[in-house]
Amino acid sequence: MNSLLPSLLQIPGLLMVFGAVLVPILPHALRQIWMLAVIALSAWLCWGIAPGVHMTTQLAGLDLILVRADAITRPFALVFHIAAALNVIYAMHENVRTTATAGLAYAGAAIAALFAGDFVTLFIYWELTAFTSVFLILISRSERSFAAAMRYLLMQVSSGVILLAGAVILWHSGQGLSVQALDASTLAGGLILLAFGIKAAFPFLNGWLQDAYPEASVTGTVILSAFTTKLAIYMLALCFAGTEILIWIGAVMTLFPVFFAVIENDLRRVLAFSLNNQLGFMVVGVGIGSELAINGTVSHAFAHIIYKALLFMSMGAVLHRTGTAKASELGGLWKRMPLTMIFCIIGAVSISSFPLFSGFVTKSLTIGSVAKDGYFVVWMILIFASAGVLEHSGIKIPYFAFFGHDRKFEVKEAPVNMLIAMGIAAGLCIAIGVAPQLLYGLLPYAVDYNVWDAGHVLGEMQLLLFAILAFVFLMVRGLYPPEIDSTVLNTDWFLRRLLPRLTMAIARPILSVWFAALGQTKKLVMDGLYVGERASQQTGLVSGVASTGAAAGIFLAVFALLLLLLFSM
Amino acid sequence: MSHSSEKPEISPAAKRFIIALCIICFGLTVLEFVIHRHAYFALEGRPMFFAAYGFIAFIIVVVGGIGLRKLIMRAPDYYDAGDDHE
Repeated sequence: MNSLLPSLLQIPGLLMVFGAVLVPILPHALRQIWMLAVIALSAWLCWGIAPGVHMTTQLAGLDLILVRADAITRPFALVFHIAAALNVIYAMHENVRTTATAGLAYAGAAIAALFAGDFVTLFIYWELTAFTSVFLILISRSERSFAAAMRYLLMQVSSGVILLAGAVILWHSGQGLSVQALDASTLAGGLILLAFGIKAAFPFLNGWLQDAYPEASVTGTVILSAFTTKLAIYMLALCFAGTEILIWIGAVMTLFPVFFAVIENDLRRVLAFSLNNQLGFMVVGVGIGSELAINGTVSHAFAHIIYKALLFMSMGAVLHRTGTAKASELGGLWKRMPLTMIFCIIGAVSISSFPLFSGFVTKSLTIGSVAKDGYFVVWMILIFASAGVLEHSGIKIPYFAFFGHDRKFEVKEAPVNMLIAMGIAAGLCIAIGVAPQLLYGLLPYAVDYNVWDAGHVLGEMQLLLFAILAFVFLMVRGLYPPEIDSTVLNTDWFLRRLLPRLTMAIARPILSVWFAALGQTKKLVMDGLYVGERASQQTGLVSGVASTGAAAGIFLAVFALLLLLLFSM
Repeated sequence: MSHSSEKPEISPAAKRFIIALCIICFGLTVLEFVIHRHAYFALEGRPMFFAAYGFIAFIIVVVGGIGLRKLIMRAPDYYDAGDDHE
């Protein structure tokens, strides 16, 4: 036991999970210092882990690899720690121990999962991320968020169970349990791909993301945006690099959310659709699987975690101050929240891939790899989706929150800690955009792509600026659709509406038969009682011939039977 | 697009923004004939491909969204009044 805890603390991320245990009992100020110190120590430990297997154990005859690093592990681990630290700073104004505890444990579990070298170990952390993160949704304490949290948990746990099933079949087929390159056409590979696909929000498996994330608290959504989906992308890159079907899955992922985001009114939900779209670019990169594409996926995930967190933070600040994140109720906040507006715009231009911002120097690698490998249709889709990103994240988010119709909000600028977190994230977006070699140096392969090629920069600027021109055209002509408070149906509809209806359709005839049988039985019993009563009147069975004890017993039995019938109704 | 919003009034600041945007777009058009764009695909090499594709793609996204709204937009309390509570 004495040696167990130090051994466990050597596992990356577990330091944060165990560190979270102390969070609820620490006073507010000390809690912030403690969390940042734990994250910094964990980052330092992770930074020193070179690619390779570092810790193994045996459990019930299974060889488990508790710590293993790959060439892509370090950038993911680094950005996960950055996100965890930003979350702590962003949430410093609030004294919510549940969010702080769950957030730190969740980030720790995700980091531990990055280093899991076998599927059983991965399964444990995979589920741990689900059970820790669900509290970030539950903390909203509304009936709506509770229902969303349960649906979220259902999907997340299902993903874990499917992962375990795939791992068992893999082990049974003699391929071992280690995290390895897999064939998606085998049963084990297919199941594991499905498990990853649920967490990566593949088409038709994506509903949980847009359903649950916007139901979390202001700070909870920011935390949620960083880890689960990118962990899935990381695992896809490790196990399914070069799997061609992913190119097409990813292409669809980039495409469909842009249409949903146009009509979605809740700006945090718009960002959740946007997140889905960005994951699509990464999945395409995994599907291509070339060195350039994997570099693209890893660097895009890195940059995306930061600018997406920045956008969620800015909308969180707006929600915190105004009490709403609905586009139909917002507008004109630039006067009241100018710094938040500036940070939001930096996030918006970063995700839109404007040159000198982080999205440009990372997404270009993926799109470049698609072009290099000659996937013309996919390339056209990605360029199209890039214009879509500009529409919802580049224009819609800042325009409807900070400009547009002035709603005359009398609110203060965001709290200082929120501004600091947003400022750091914005600074990173610019630093990566201006000096991409900072990030490229972390990538698994040498970057053989000139993002600063004048023709490439020109093409990107033309795409974006003429798309903005289209927005101006639509606005001036009054053709841009107004924001309407509404519910946009998504694939969570299957879980929330179709499945209950199907269940009822199946259950209704069964229940009808059950109640009919119950009615018949009741009638038979009542008839029996009537006949018995008549007989007793004639024979005196219950009124004298039988003993008092026997009569009482008969009455008790009849009474119990009646009670049973009544309660079963 | 019958349900589209009315033509909004354009503020002086917005006018300045639009003029600046048009000047930049004009500049990017001029640069198209100065800077060589390396193209992987024939279509990509066509003059003003990215400008035209960006403009058209944006319009399609918005118009597509309007069409989608007719199909999948429901009342704000659609789920609250529905099976979530059944």
